[in-house]
Amino acid sequence: MQDLLGNLAMGFGVALSLQNIGLCFIGCALGTAIGVLPGIGPLPTVALLLPFTFSLDPTGALIMLAGVFYGAQYGGSTTAILARLPGETSSVVTCLDGYAMALKGQAGTALALAAIGSLLAGMVTTLLIAAAGPPLADIALLFHSADYVSVMVLGLISAVVMAHGSVLKALLMILLGLLLGSVGTDVATGEYRFTLGLDMLADGIGFVPISMGLFGLAEIMINLENRGGRGVIAKAVGSLWPPLAVLRQALPAMLRGTAIGAGFGIMPGGGPTIASFSAYSLEKKMAAQPARFGHGAVEGVAAPEAANNAATQSCFIPMLCLGIPPNALMALMVGAMMVHGIQPGPSIITKQPELFWGMIASMAVGNIILVILNLPLIGIWVRLLQVPYAYLFPAIIVFCAVGTYTVDNSTGDVVLMAVFGVLGYVFRKLDCEPAPLMLGLVLGPLLEENFRRAMVLADGDVTIFVTRPISLGFLLAAAALLAAVLLPSIRRGRQEAFRE
Amino acid sequence: MLRRNLLILGTGLLAAPRVHAQAFPSAPMTLICAWPPGGGSDIAMRLVAEAASKKFGVPVVVDNRPGAAGAIGHRAIATARPDGYTFGMFSTAGVAAPYLNANANTIDELEPLAFFGSDPSALQASTASGIASLQDFVTRARANPGKIKNGNDQPGGASFLAVASYEKLMNFRIQKVPYAGYAPTVTALLAGEVDSATVAIPDTIEYHRQGKLKILGVSSAERHFMAPEIPTFKEQGFDVEVGSWRCIAGPKGMPEDRLRTLRSGLLDAMRDPDFLAKARQAGFTTQPGDAATTLARWRADDQLLYTILDEAGLVKARKR
Repeated sequence: MQDLLGNLAMGFGVALSLQNIGLCFIGCALGTAIGVLPGIGPLPTVALLLPFTFSLDPTGALIMLAGVFYGAQYGGSTTAILARLPGETSSVVTCLDGYAMALKGQAGTALALAAIGSLLAGMVTTLLIAAAGPPLADIALLFHSADYVSVMVLGLISAVVMAHGSVLKALLMILLGLLLGSVGTDVATGEYRFTLGLDMLADGIGFVPISMGLFGLAEIMINLENRGGRGVIAKAVGSLWPPLAVLRQALPAMLRGTAIGAGFGIMPGGGPTIASFSAYSLEKKMAAQPARFGHGAVEGVAAPEAANNAATQSCFIPMLCLGIPPNALMALMVGAMMVHGIQPGPSIITKQPELFWGMIASMAVGNIILVILNLPLIGIWVRLLQVPYAYLFPAIIVFCAVGTYTVDNSTGDVVLMAVFGVLGYVFRKLDCEPAPLMLGLVLGPLLEENFRRAMVLADGDVTIFVTRPISLGFLLAAAALLAAVLLPSIRRGRQEAFRE
Repeated sequence: MLRRNLLILGTGLLAAPRVHAQAFPSAPMTLICAWPPGGGSDIAMRLVAEAASKKFGVPVVVDNRPGAAGAIGHRAIATARPDGYTFGMFSTAGVAAPYLNANANTIDELEPLAFFGSDPSALQASTASGIASLQDFVTRARANPGKIKNGNDQPGGASFLAVASYEKLMNFRIQKVPYAGYAPTVTALLAGEVDSATVAIPDTIEYHRQGKLKILGVSSAERHFMAPEIPTFKEQGFDVEVGSWRCIAGPKGMPEDRLRTLRSGLLDAMRDPDFLAKARQAGFTTQPGDAATTLARWRADDQLLYTILDEAGLVKARKR
């Protein structure tokens, strides 16, 4: 305890230097900006900033880059709530109830809840890293390929729970997502699959063009059809600050979301995404009236937003404590360290204590900066909704196109976005939800890669999934979840059958 | 492109009406990197761009065109206007690519300009495997073919080609397990999911020093500057040199005078002490070389990798 306080004091000493506060602020502000712009994610931003950090000292550089990353999580919820545009995989879930709240004239409340949930999650997780980082990091080393397969299965099943329409349709959308995810280079053999001879498809179909199309463009088409181009938000925008009753309702959801997020963030691959989907599913399962979800349930915004921010912070644990990057962005951070001559590995804590504790302290500082930055912005965002739709929707389309193009500097992706916009419209007409498809698309390639690797490693013995305790645990959880979803509908089916 | 034309227009009006009459280079140049921003190749190319910009006196802009294991970016280089203003990075993985992907460019479609350097491959063993030395590794692999599980890239990637080269040159066979990149491979090695891996020195040296894995050797002529305690393969009785290299190449058909300017300018830029110091700090092994060196290395690897891929049944797109 004495150590912890001493170390934290040293960390804050580093993080609160004028230069580092400045860099943290720049990072957070940039992160918020790119989070708000659809399609432009933290990954390319950090990558482009990297060369500019060559001249900074490594701690300052990492503090700024980290600020971009978690800042984008704050900003990412903004477009999800206001325009049903998920800029990040992890904010797909926020679209569901966040946008529904905006339609009810509660956009301000939804944005405030997202910011407060993120702050709470960020602070709790930062404390967790400080108190128990190194032992937690070792968890990442307990996971083998077989265990990841079971984690992915659990994640996919949670998407079924999430859907508020028919279970069958949700399952089919997941399968469609898995199929779309199989486009690209097969990691086990290097073979190109379903690429139609186009190099553009060799790396698979990107998340950004599909989500921009299925969510953003489809929503615009539906709006134009239903309202003939008139404004979306007809109702007066209520108070920006959520009423106490709403906060009281949201707080337990935020805490549960934080716990789930912190757990999934440590695992490599898809952490924040699985975390936000799982947090949403858990809230829906625990709710007294699950029917509220999808129609502006407060917990449906608070829990996933807390979860994705907690996961964003906790994925620093394996990176800082072991040098293992759990996702592409953390890999960039490791790259930034290597440029400065710091070798990634478990020795960072002992060899670079100022960097390690300075980074952790800067996350606490950054989260506070972000809330100070974001709460006043809410008023401006909400006012944006009063811009006549005839001006707003072409602007959204332009932003989507620019964002999609900049991911890989590829015009093909913009065409892909348009195709998925039309598909998204068709799905809406058929009452098929795109969120489960997105989860299938993101997790499918990971599921397949790990499954095939697990099979190679186990010499084709499928019992590996039940003989490894971690894997078995996740599979049992998935089975329990599936049973919980299916049993009521089976019972209902029987009752209907009896009635006849 | 537009900006370049405007610049040409601007300077051209004052000096001479035709582009040919101008000094080369007189407008911003583009350095295409076929890999995403932030990765090793991107960082290497940004350092080159900075040094080249200093040398040529015009901005050199890195343009990332990632995708299809480099094929998209390489095509952008091969099909660029051969005016000397566009060139890019080419690497070992690109040598193997045309045999796996019919769309990938071959050696005959690109003009080598200068050699950046070669990062030697290395072999690591997990602590759980109990493998004590390179000799021990080879003995075990020969005694039980396919028993040792090695973490590497997917077929065609740099660390896949490295381990496949070891198998061929040192006459053993192990089970190659594909991972998407170095980070997950190192994680799997630390977790004991695989017995060995073929990952570069900078990514593993700290773990070796902490006793979390064992680097068995580095397959280069000399020891790696970041890991002077790790012996080479040759020191351990295996005369094998395997590594993945990077070079700068341009489109075919550039005017002879511009080609000369580019080749000597890029070579000078990469011999700049400031550049060398920065590259070394970032962990790159630099060996600046001319176009002839580049072409020789390229041809030699083309021969070796084709044989390896052919024996593995991976030659699908075209035969030699």
